[in-house]
Amino acid sequence: MTRFGKHPDSDAADLGAEALHGAVADAGIDPRLIEAAYVGHVFQGMVTGQRVLAQVGLAGIPLANVENACSSGATAIREASLAIRAGENDVVIAIGTEHLTSKFSGALTPDPSDPEAAVGATMPSVYAMRARRYMEEYGMTREQLALIPVKNKSNAARNPLAHFRKEITVQDVLDSRPIADPLRLHDCSPVTDGAAAVILMSDKAAKRHGNGRAVKLAASALRTGTVDVEPASMTFEPLTWATAHDAYERAGIGPEDVDFAEVHDCFSIAEVLRVEGLGLFKQGDYPAAVERGDANIEGRLPINPSGGLIGKGHPLGGTGVAQVVEIVRQLRGESGDRQIEGPRVGLAHCRGGKAVGIEGAACTVQILVR
Amino acid sequence: MSASAVGVSFRPGELEVRPDGTGNQLGSRCRACGAHFFPVREACSGCLSGDLETVRFSTAGTLYTFSIVRQSTPAFEVPYALGYVDFPEGVRIMGQISGIELDEIKIGMPMVLSLEPWGEDDEGNPLTGYRFRPAEAN
Repeated sequence: MTRFGKHPDSDAADLGAEALHGAVADAGIDPRLIEAAYVGHVFQGMVTGQRVLAQVGLAGIPLANVENACSSGATAIREASLAIRAGENDVVIAIGTEHLTSKFSGALTPDPSDPEAAVGATMPSVYAMRARRYMEEYGMTREQLALIPVKNKSNAARNPLAHFRKEITVQDVLDSRPIADPLRLHDCSPVTDGAAAVILMSDKAAKRHGNGRAVKLAASALRTGTVDVEPASMTFEPLTWATAHDAYERAGIGPEDVDFAEVHDCFSIAEVLRVEGLGLFKQGDYPAAVERGDANIEGRLPINPSGGLIGKGHPLGGTGVAQVVEIVRQLRGESGDRQIEGPRVGLAHCRGGKAVGIEGAACTVQILVR
Repeated sequence: MSASAVGVSFRPGELEVRPDGTGNQLGSRCRACGAHFFPVREACSGCLSGDLETVRFSTAGTLYTFSIVRQSTPAFEVPYALGYVDFPEGVRIMGQISGIELDEIKIGMPMVLSLEPWGEDDEGNPLTGYRFRPAEAN
């Protein structure tokens, strides 16, 4: 993957190409072995994936561009895995890329046609409303919530590819600019450029071409939100749970077997909702667990060791692929200063998109096993 | 609001505005199972029946949660309060909150629909949109 941050001198195709080269070098394969590509991006326009492949001389193979809001990159990985499971391909690349600083600034909003966008909904405000409700129901304090960006930016400070490399304090969070009460700037993921790529192989191809460093993608699940027939709790995520359930079942494990996770912390409160929705922590328990240090890199169940979206950055299409890159490196023991001790099972969770009446647009859960 | 000053609905499929200045939010009711939806749908997500009718929702509900928005798109002047109101039909609808100081809004407050001026269309004709106001304020 590329460094995440601001890349004023490159575009989504450059970043995607850099990520592709990195993945090919890591796998140690001839790039001509790649039979198909899935490329996730959100605001980069038509055929960005083809522009990536054209940069590196690989145009000509089957390619599909994938848009699923913040789950675009993760959906690209799932599509790649399905092509292999179907027996159609043996070596497939999944890329996620986004040059977000040139497309967008400020608060992300739902599509303007959406009835909620029409009355002023922004993504931060929707999560702010969920945070307020969670505080009311579970007694979480504003200071407890601030510990999540403090943790994630501390992890990011140990990640050379992260957007932010500076540790912050609870007071820094509370003093930062208000965005949508009770959320402040440090509660929000930044506008980031970046790309990541992973190469997936069938068992047969891994035996023949692999360099012995591959980890197993045990499950790659995708769901879309359902339309509620009555108002649902906004402090629990049935969509995250349903997607996780699919992944646990496929992988033959349960939440108790997960050693660490990269979850979609687009906002501080989102990390709370994700890990509880995934069944990794009991409903209402996560803020106290963070306070105890359970979710630290050295803790019982590290959450977002890469720095997460808040610390590492959130290039929409790149995010889901970068999560899997982190999990692969952690499982291989290649994560340097932020290495978790001896993990065997890592979980990546993305969800993104807002449309009126549905809980969330797209949700993915991927489980990787050493 | 006098009849002549009433602008047309900013989104006619979701908000009915009558000439006397009254109005309702619109959605669907499933004739097969009774579930309600906002906005109007073509089929019921509960039972998949396609037998839906468009209905007017109640104008009084309860504030489920809210936020004070301090950064938004250029179309909206900040700060403004945004909330979700639960209605007796079993729908939750987002809207801005008016008629109360921003620091006095509380989860659980009874709210009512309030039709309010909502800018102009491309030809300069006034539009009517909606906000939610605390029930006591009316």
